[in-house]
Amino acid sequence: MSAISDTELLERFPDTWINHDNKDFYRGWLERRLLLNRCAACGYWQHPPKPVCRTCWSGDVHATEVSGRGTVHLLIRLHQGPPAPGVDYSAPLPVATVELEEQEGLRYTSTVVNCPPGQLRIGLPVRLTWIERYGAPYPVFEPRAEGAAGDA
Amino acid sequence: MRNPVKDKVAIVGVGSTGFRRNIDGRSRDSLAVEASVKAIRDSGLRREDIDGISASSPAPPSMASALGLPSVTHYRSGHVPFVFAIVDAMNAVFSGSAECVLLYHSVYRAPAISASAARDPFRRGLGFGGSIPQVPSRTDPESVEGAVGYAAWASRYLDEYHASREGFARVAVSDRSNAADNPLAAVRDPMTMDDYYAARMVREPLCLFDMDVPVDGADAFVITTAERARDLPRKPVLIHAATAGLTDRNEEDQIPGLGRHGQHVVVESLRAKSDIWIPDVDLYFPYDGFTIITLSWIENTGWCGPGEAGDFLKQHWDEKRNRILINGTIPVNPHGGALSEGGTQGSGHIREAVVQLRGDAGARQAPGAATALLTPGGFFFNAQGLVLRTD
Repeated sequence: MSAISDTELLERFPDTWINHDNKDFYRGWLERRLLLNRCAACGYWQHPPKPVCRTCWSGDVHATEVSGRGTVHLLIRLHQGPPAPGVDYSAPLPVATVELEEQEGLRYTSTVVNCPPGQLRIGLPVRLTWIERYGAPYPVFEPRAEGAAGDA
Repeated sequence: MRNPVKDKVAIVGVGSTGFRRNIDGRSRDSLAVEASVKAIRDSGLRREDIDGISASSPAPPSMASALGLPSVTHYRSGHVPFVFAIVDAMNAVFSGSAECVLLYHSVYRAPAISASAARDPFRRGLGFGGSIPQVPSRTDPESVEGAVGYAAWASRYLDEYHASREGFARVAVSDRSNAADNPLAAVRDPMTMDDYYAARMVREPLCLFDMDVPVDGADAFVITTAERARDLPRKPVLIHAATAGLTDRNEEDQIPGLGRHGQHVVVESLRAKSDIWIPDVDLYFPYDGFTIITLSWIENTGWCGPGEAGDFLKQHWDEKRNRILINGTIPVNPHGGALSEGGTQGSGHIREAVVQLRGDAGARQAPGAATALLTPGGFFFNAQGLVLRTD
């Protein structure tokens, strides 16, 4: 990855707790790539990022791109919640935890866009897409046809 | 599983401010001080006897200073729910780090979760739960961290078990019915199932009545050896078994599922440590910071099978009093729980268990109650278990 400096990274995410374990996860956002923690020794995925692989204790863990394809596993509709640009809760905001196809139980939580409220449900196939927030890309999901490729 | 501390340490004093949604003009410290003075007086011990402190907030040095505790040999503050403090104090007394430990927990409404707290200029900037604010951080709502995680797994519960919200409703209504007889409780107006269904959604599928009540108040306790307890004025309540429970994948969105999280570790540990279990339990205190937590505890503790809590509550419903009464005799959170007494993070549940086991619960008293099973905390990073009994 054409790495931006640590200082520039911190400047792009001024109110985010960035450290040596999650810095490359956030670098991925700037390139619109969802990079999750994967062990190079045994192939195990884990999120949020950790300094060591949970299963084999290898420190050879790296931010690694996922396909972004998955299915909705948990689903809330927030009728009120914390402030964020572009979110006013005039319609309930969906918050979805998506189980990614890379590994059973590997999940990423965001919202689902481009989806009529009536179609949103647990089990819905989704794929990764991006919106802008606080001047940087922000990963979200949108519905996909079952079996369809993740690339838009 | 080893449990050499079984019945060796006793709760000998309790004190509470009671819990209210609208206490103004008081600091958090004043609440903890009031509860602590009451608990020490209740125990019959003198301030000079208190040589240990285990607490949430305020910090032990500040409390030792406020209460004039002249010589303290063990102190610690930490996270809630309150069994963390109970276990610490129990271990301190058992090991000899201290002989008589003061425990307290104060709660204080934060401006972010209470409109009336937001009008108090002296609460400006307090973080969630009333904590001192940290550095500013962005608040993306697309997260299931913290309390939101329970709404997320409630959605999974309804989907996986094809359950309805009726089980959630019964937990909320039962707590409210019980709170009617508890003068310490913040919310005591009667509530019906229809009231529950009419409430506004907050984090759908959880509505206003699925979430505990933000309150101001404090509970305090005094713990010492079972031996010394027998010379003190109050009927001793023995700590029979206590545990916490944590798994590896414990982040809110990463737990394996409803069938494996902290509650399962608690139940495995507590069953192994305790001689008392279902059906020898006279009082049951499942945590109820969110209604889904209560249903999960009832299932995981083994009162019924996975996904069956809704039917279980219907079957064990006291129609006359509009509340849960297991087998017609075992009250469940008879003080009104976190949903109606107030969000005490377990201190209220433990205080009520002590008061019931002493036989001092007045209109709420379960006749002859001698054993209590408590399961405070949730799924992810704070599941706990406690078994209390009389001497």
